[in-house]
Amino acid sequence: MLNPEQMSRLLIAATRDQMGPVIAELYRHNLFHIEDYVEASAEGYDGFKIGTPLAGASEASGDLVKIRAIQNAFSIRSDDFEVKQRHKQSGLQALIERDLPAIEKEVEELTAQRSRLETTVKEYEQKISELSPFVEVPGDLDLYRGYSNLVVFAGYVVKEVSLSVPHEQFLSKGKGRNFIVIIAPVAHRDVVEGALQQAGYQAVTIPDESGSPQERISSYSSQITLIKKEIEDINRKLDAIKEKHSDFLVACEEILKVQVDQTEAPLRFATTDETFVAEGWVPSQNVASLTQALEKATGGKIFVTELAKGEHDIIPVEYNNPSFARPSQLLIDTYSRPKYTELDPTLMISIVFPLFFGLILGDVGYGALLLVLCLVLRKFIKGEEGQQLLTVLRNASISSIFFGVLYSEFLGFPCPWPALLPSRHLSIGGEGGHGPNIPGLMMVAVWIGILHITIGRVLGMVNHARQDHGAHRTKAILANAGWIFVMWGILIVIWSMVPMPYMPDLTATPEVFMNFNIATVIGAVILVAGVLFIARDSGLELVELPTIISHVLSYTRIVAVGLSSVAIAMVVNFIAIGMLISPQLENITIIGVLFIIMGIAVFLIGHALNMALGILGGGLHSLRLHYVEFFTKFYKGGGKKYNPFGMKRRFTED
Amino acid sequence: MVDVNMTLEMVEASQVGMKAMAAAIAVGATGIAAALAEMSIGSAAVGATAENKDVFGLVLLLTVIPETIVIFGLVVALLLIF
Repeated sequence: MLNPEQMSRLLIAATRDQMGPVIAELYRHNLFHIEDYVEASAEGYDGFKIGTPLAGASEASGDLVKIRAIQNAFSIRSDDFEVKQRHKQSGLQALIERDLPAIEKEVEELTAQRSRLETTVKEYEQKISELSPFVEVPGDLDLYRGYSNLVVFAGYVVKEVSLSVPHEQFLSKGKGRNFIVIIAPVAHRDVVEGALQQAGYQAVTIPDESGSPQERISSYSSQITLIKKEIEDINRKLDAIKEKHSDFLVACEEILKVQVDQTEAPLRFATTDETFVAEGWVPSQNVASLTQALEKATGGKIFVTELAKGEHDIIPVEYNNPSFARPSQLLIDTYSRPKYTELDPTLMISIVFPLFFGLILGDVGYGALLLVLCLVLRKFIKGEEGQQLLTVLRNASISSIFFGVLYSEFLGFPCPWPALLPSRHLSIGGEGGHGPNIPGLMMVAVWIGILHITIGRVLGMVNHARQDHGAHRTKAILANAGWIFVMWGILIVIWSMVPMPYMPDLTATPEVFMNFNIATVIGAVILVAGVLFIARDSGLELVELPTIISHVLSYTRIVAVGLSSVAIAMVVNFIAIGMLISPQLENITIIGVLFIIMGIAVFLIGHALNMALGILGGGLHSLRLHYVEFFTKFYKGGGKKYNPFGMKRRFTED
Repeated sequence: MVDVNMTLEMVEASQVGMKAMAAAIAVGATGIAAALAEMSIGSAAVGATAENKDVFGLVLLLTVIPETIVIFGLVVALLLIF
């Protein structure tokens, strides 16, 4: 449970003619994590070469590329696809050869046509934008060209232009820049150009069109509308194809992926002219069954043996958790997968994360809303990770309801029963009794921190006991014990000096010397012993001593974040009900109804916002307490993911 | 400077006000500090996520680490008021 799945190293050797059946059998079982054969680094593999793909590899991968291209065009993702019926592999094979080229051709033609039309639309839009400045100028577009002794300028200027030479000028004023057209005799070209330059002239191309600009623009826009209709037509056709064939396409993709994986597997094996050798990892409990299956598939013409695990082997890691803890593996993978020799904290996080979340959000109303939200989203979000996240959130929301009952909170209102935990009700707007029991809440949070960190350090001792060797092992274990000693030493010293709620009161213990009582002395001795243990392992670590206090205090965020969400909820209630709705209810007028509607809006929006904040705050802060305060005590991660050769077929079967 | 004309009630009221001011400074100043710290982490985090989507979970965490500052501020403020 706290350990990953036990793995065994397996070596498979057989003659080359058995390669096909062996690969198919391994793929079907989906258990064998192949260690890729690398020519340069392998010891004891003299004379071996990397294998070559089986027959049919290039055809299958060619087809796979085609199918994925079509899937891209349709944006079909097999992960999000509901399984309707499972296709038989043999039937599908024939269909791939017969139907796929036709579908591919049709889709290709339609998409090519669509992109052609889209380019035309862009061209026309460009033309419209070129024409639009000329709309203001009276006169057809033919008038701008075809002169032998006149020159035409058209463009934008910053200021007005006045010329001393004979010319025709049209100026339309715009925002920041003016559009100008000047027609002058060729003989005066230099004068005109000079004047324009001073006015900050920017030429525009004169459209190669005839007729009035306005008419041309409307003709282009009507053509664009027509083309857009055509594009819609094509999209409808593509949708029809998608509707008709997507089931077939995902099944094809799966089957071709299986083929490509299988035919290319020899690239990961070591081969000679006549034989091949594959090495890999298999969960220990499956070794016997896999060996048997392989022997059966090859008729006994195979050699399978279990190798000893080497010191430096990087063993792939597969989680081994009870089913209720499995969704929390997502939270561990987000941080880092455990190493093979390390304790797997999934079980811890799967229990403690919902507890923290509940302690922070702790509200029956928000918990129930979040629960409903999770259950509804489960229908819409496909894919493994999304489902895992929703399950984690669902557990967290149930815990929120539970703690909501204990805190006696419903959307910030008190429930009819008294709070069983220290109260979090604030006195907002002069109501709500004596206010929250902050010292009580703080002490509960600090206790949680002390216990969580102590557990973390104990797990750290276990991890060092497993991973280290020799003198360093003892020192590392003692250093972890030292951290626990220092923390509890500080606690005992504090308890012996200051009485605090929910904490043992040691102030009354007998005095020994100089006003220090016996508890203070004991605490100090433990503290010093802890410091010595830490220093023996690494003196530099002593710099980290203050983190003991800051990490424990960090758990008070459970109170702080929780209280802030209670405060927002109560403020929303006070504004919506206390200030807007209830004063109007006493004497209903038309304006009063408006106020009531406003109050309801404030209530809904405020609580929706607060719930979003609560999920974010509750989730992230609980996670952070695990990742930063808990994991740093014992967990490193960086393990390799167990990725067995094979896949779970969803759309096809043999 | 002691204002001799202050009554006991006025002194008490002003003490309550001082406490509230102190709490406000504790939350406000730490809030600004956390924001400053998260500013640069956040922009780097977005950049890293653009390069490689897998690091999203990790950078989200790195971004919330400075929140500790404002949490401590909030704790201090709560202790001051209650």
